[in-house]
Amino acid sequence: MTHSGAMTESRRPAASPTRRALSSPRTRWAVPVVAAVAVGLAFAAPPLFASADDAGLPTISPEELAAQVASAEPSPLSGTVVYTARLGLPELPFGDVGGANPVALLGGSSTMRVWSDGGDRSRVALLGATSEFSVVQDGPEAWTYSSTDDAVVHYSLDAADAARYDELTAQAEAGDLPVQGDLPTPEEAGRQAVGMARLSSTVTLDAQTEVAGRPAYQLVVTPTSDTTLVGRIVVAVDAETSTPLRVQVWAASDTKTPALEIGFTDVSFATPADSVLAFSAPAGASTREVVVPLPDVPEDAAATASDGSAKDLPEGVTVTGTGWDAVVEASGLDVAALVAGDPSAAASLPGVDKTFGSQGAADLYSEFVPEEGSGSPMGDLDTTALYDTLTTEVPEGRLLSSALLSVLVTDDGRVLVGAVPGATLQALAAR
Amino acid sequence: MTDPTTGAAPSGAAPVASLAIATDGLTKRFRSGQVAVAGIDLHVPRGAVYGFIGPNGSGKTTTIRMLLGLVRPTSGRAFLLGGEMPGAGADVLPRVGALVEGPAFHPYLTGSANLARLDASDATADPRTARRRADEALDRVGLGAAAGKPYRQYSLGMKQRLGLAAALLRPRELLVLDEPTNGLDPQGTREVRNLVRELAENGTTVLVSSHLLAEIEQVCSHVGIMSGGHLLLQGDRAELVARGLPRLSVQTSPEHVGAAAEVLTGLGLTDLQTTGAGVSALLGAVPPEKVSAALVHAGVDLLGLEVRRPNLEQIFVELTGEGFDVAR
Amino acid sequence: MSLVETATPVARPLRGSLLRLVRSELRLVLGRRRNLVLLLGLALVPLLLGTVLFLSQDTALDGQGPGFVGRVTGNGLFLVVASLFLCLPFLLPLTIGIASGDAIAGEASAGTLRYLLTVPVARGRLLAVKAVGALTFAAAAVAAIAIVGIVAGAAFFGLRGITLLSGTTVPLGDGILRIAAVVVYVGLSMTGLVAVGLFFSTLTEVPVGAMAATVVTAIVCGVLDQLPQLATIAPALLTHHWLDFAEFLRLEPDWGVLGQGLALQAAWVAIFGALAWSRFTTADVSS
Repeated sequence: MTHSGAMTESRRPAASPTRRALSSPRTRWAVPVVAAVAVGLAFAAPPLFASADDAGLPTISPEELAAQVASAEPSPLSGTVVYTARLGLPELPFGDVGGANPVALLGGSSTMRVWSDGGDRSRVALLGATSEFSVVQDGPEAWTYSSTDDAVVHYSLDAADAARYDELTAQAEAGDLPVQGDLPTPEEAGRQAVGMARLSSTVTLDAQTEVAGRPAYQLVVTPTSDTTLVGRIVVAVDAETSTPLRVQVWAASDTKTPALEIGFTDVSFATPADSVLAFSAPAGASTREVVVPLPDVPEDAAATASDGSAKDLPEGVTVTGTGWDAVVEASGLDVAALVAGDPSAAASLPGVDKTFGSQGAADLYSEFVPEEGSGSPMGDLDTTALYDTLTTEVPEGRLLSSALLSVLVTDDGRVLVGAVPGATLQALAAR
Repeated sequence: MTDPTTGAAPSGAAPVASLAIATDGLTKRFRSGQVAVAGIDLHVPRGAVYGFIGPNGSGKTTTIRMLLGLVRPTSGRAFLLGGEMPGAGADVLPRVGALVEGPAFHPYLTGSANLARLDASDATADPRTARRRADEALDRVGLGAAAGKPYRQYSLGMKQRLGLAAALLRPRELLVLDEPTNGLDPQGTREVRNLVRELAENGTTVLVSSHLLAEIEQVCSHVGIMSGGHLLLQGDRAELVARGLPRLSVQTSPEHVGAAAEVLTGLGLTDLQTTGAGVSALLGAVPPEKVSAALVHAGVDLLGLEVRRPNLEQIFVELTGEGFDVAR
Repeated sequence: MSLVETATPVARPLRGSLLRLVRSELRLVLGRRRNLVLLLGLALVPLLLGTVLFLSQDTALDGQGPGFVGRVTGNGLFLVVASLFLCLPFLLPLTIGIASGDAIAGEASAGTLRYLLTVPVARGRLLAVKAVGALTFAAAAVAAIAIVGIVAGAAFFGLRGITLLSGTTVPLGDGILRIAAVVVYVGLSMTGLVAVGLFFSTLTEVPVGAMAATVVTAIVCGVLDQLPQLATIAPALLTHHWLDFAEFLRLEPDWGVLGQGLALQAAWVAIFGALAWSRFTTADVSS
């Protein structure tokens, strides 16, 4: 049992090490690793660079910055806005099924495209995966268009109001617009936040930052009161145009992530194309006409608009407390009608939009609800069920608690709203 | 003749340059831990017809796969036409025709479409002559008439012929034919043998593997025997047969068997095997006439004495202790 | 060194040889009956959808349906979009998963892979050619839906200027361009899946396994993308930007979003392409 010695005998040679290394499997498996790292870097790099916090802007005092924001002319702009709400509300009983849907603004994250000419023409589109909810304001007229059900709602003034509107616009080139068709925008929210700085707050500056690729100052408005739910409001202000680019509302209870955040992820200050700001109902869409009364606008509207305490209050509405602790109490409200979606009921809550942090969000709700009442859109969404989900039963009635805002609807028809803990509202209601 | 730096040429044998195939300690250990090929040193001279013989599962196919660059050796090296595989594959493989572990083609394509596909894959093949070459190859293996039939309608023998045709698409310096007679009837087997002989006469080196020694023994100039991953034996066929260890058997009456065995042992013969009617042993260097004289001297009743040189198959059985066709 | 000296004249690769192999591969992929049946199946989607919508046109169901289905009866162009929208979650990944998962594994299981490699075809080159074949099939799959969609849409409902998601109506020419852009975007969105399929295809000799793994990858990505708990990894999921073809139906398409979608596909292609290459160029071919 033997090998044929001479013929099979051999020596094991030493393989050339370099050649082996180049073609070795291990070297080849390094390629995907390198590819993965390169991809990771390519995707992670932009935010890394953007976080360079010293943008090298000239120093400015908080007061100067606030004044600049207040006095800056609204400029034409277009861009993409991401709105994220972490209000600590219960999970809403619907997903993205219905497409672009303004109710989605109550929780989670939404993306919007905004175009504005800086005056009274604008378009805001709330984006769904394959749908869109558009709000277009063109002077005294406004439209909403929902791509999901191909439905248009046209808001207009009657002839007399239209004439008065033209007169008003002529007087105050651009100001608070009587027809509010907007979805929330950082610009608007930012101006409100700066307005609120006058309410017993301290105003400071945070590190400079970059928002939507633009260097920005950060103005921090911190309530002096420690009983409010609001921890602080951080407004990122574009260094060049003094336009608020991002607003973060931090709840006192959570210092890690802002409860509400709305900011541009992409912005340009060019005037949008005319075709974007115009709207005409597409052929075949269902159209509903709504004539909106033009509210009386006081002469000094611009001066008082952001000063919550000095406003003329409608009948049945009282304000308790001041500044951040203010609680608005409305009595004699038909809560059932509100829940069922009567727009006038929603409109009689003047406190909501101020404390909600965004006028538009509140407006939107009132805009959305009447559509709901008419039955056709958002199909299976039951507002009563929504109301029951959002609120909890308390001895006084039903309470909605979120990270920033509490709403108490008492059984005797009063509604108390404030940026204070629910217990405070309950104590007030029981008084 | 041996280059000590590359160590490519094994000592005591022809240099790698004159070898169509040379391996050096070629080893394949699969991830399961099973050693399929255990450090073999294969030497196939140019112009040889090398019979690569061993039972199924002895490591022949794995060796061929390593030679062709399909499987990466765990250690050791393999040279094909002087180029080290798998790196030199692009240079040498166009000059190598191969049939590996049975034919394999797209079942829904015709025979000639399958050849066209293979020819189109060859970056060095001239597309202008593709059709002519394919037709010639098909004729050569006797498939001309069935060229237009889908492969799935081919019989096992036709499939095998198509595999051979693919190996013959271009003139080759080396053919590696793994079990080329598998599935062929005796007539087909004969044809393959003739084809191999014809190719070899034109100077093509052929490595032909089989688990059936008898089928290819007659065409081989060289033989290598694989068993259990080891190359037990290789070399010129005639030399191997001549070197086979002769066995001497003594026929005697039953009562003398013991005495005969004693005599053989006394002379230094090994591997004694006794039967009822005689005893046999490996002859070794002892002259047979000395054995007969000793037996007669010891008074053993010598009925017959025979010295037999084993043929290849017997050598194999002797080496492995097993017959062919035994999977391990 | 005596090794190289004796090498007889080395055959040089001819010009155009890669093209020849690609043509051969395309004939193989597009001529294969199974693949043609798959394409036919996809082409049936717009045809069936169009027929159903045409028949239910004047009933209460008119204008109903998810996504773009409700718009089809008003404008045949939307039949293309609606069909793509319906095929994206499953049928398209299934078809493409079958073709790309089969690319290498199919040759391996048939045994033809070892013959291609001993021809020889360099492994990297073979992988590239297989990728071209699988990508072409993916393009053919999307094109089959689009072409049958637009023909059936025109025949059933007529083509006219399209109403965008934003409510603006654009003229027919613009509309066709936008629909074409949708088709191209959907096609490019499949490249990552093809790369995944190729990678799985190099892992196994069982084509069905590679196909199933590819399809499952697409579906699992789609499901994970829906989970709010996984929002942080969602942007990296293969399917995350698939529906962004809707950008072309908005007033002003956001090229940034579309660019993200394509960059995501490029990332998947880079990673899984590299994995497939590493695996295929180092693997033992023992089939």
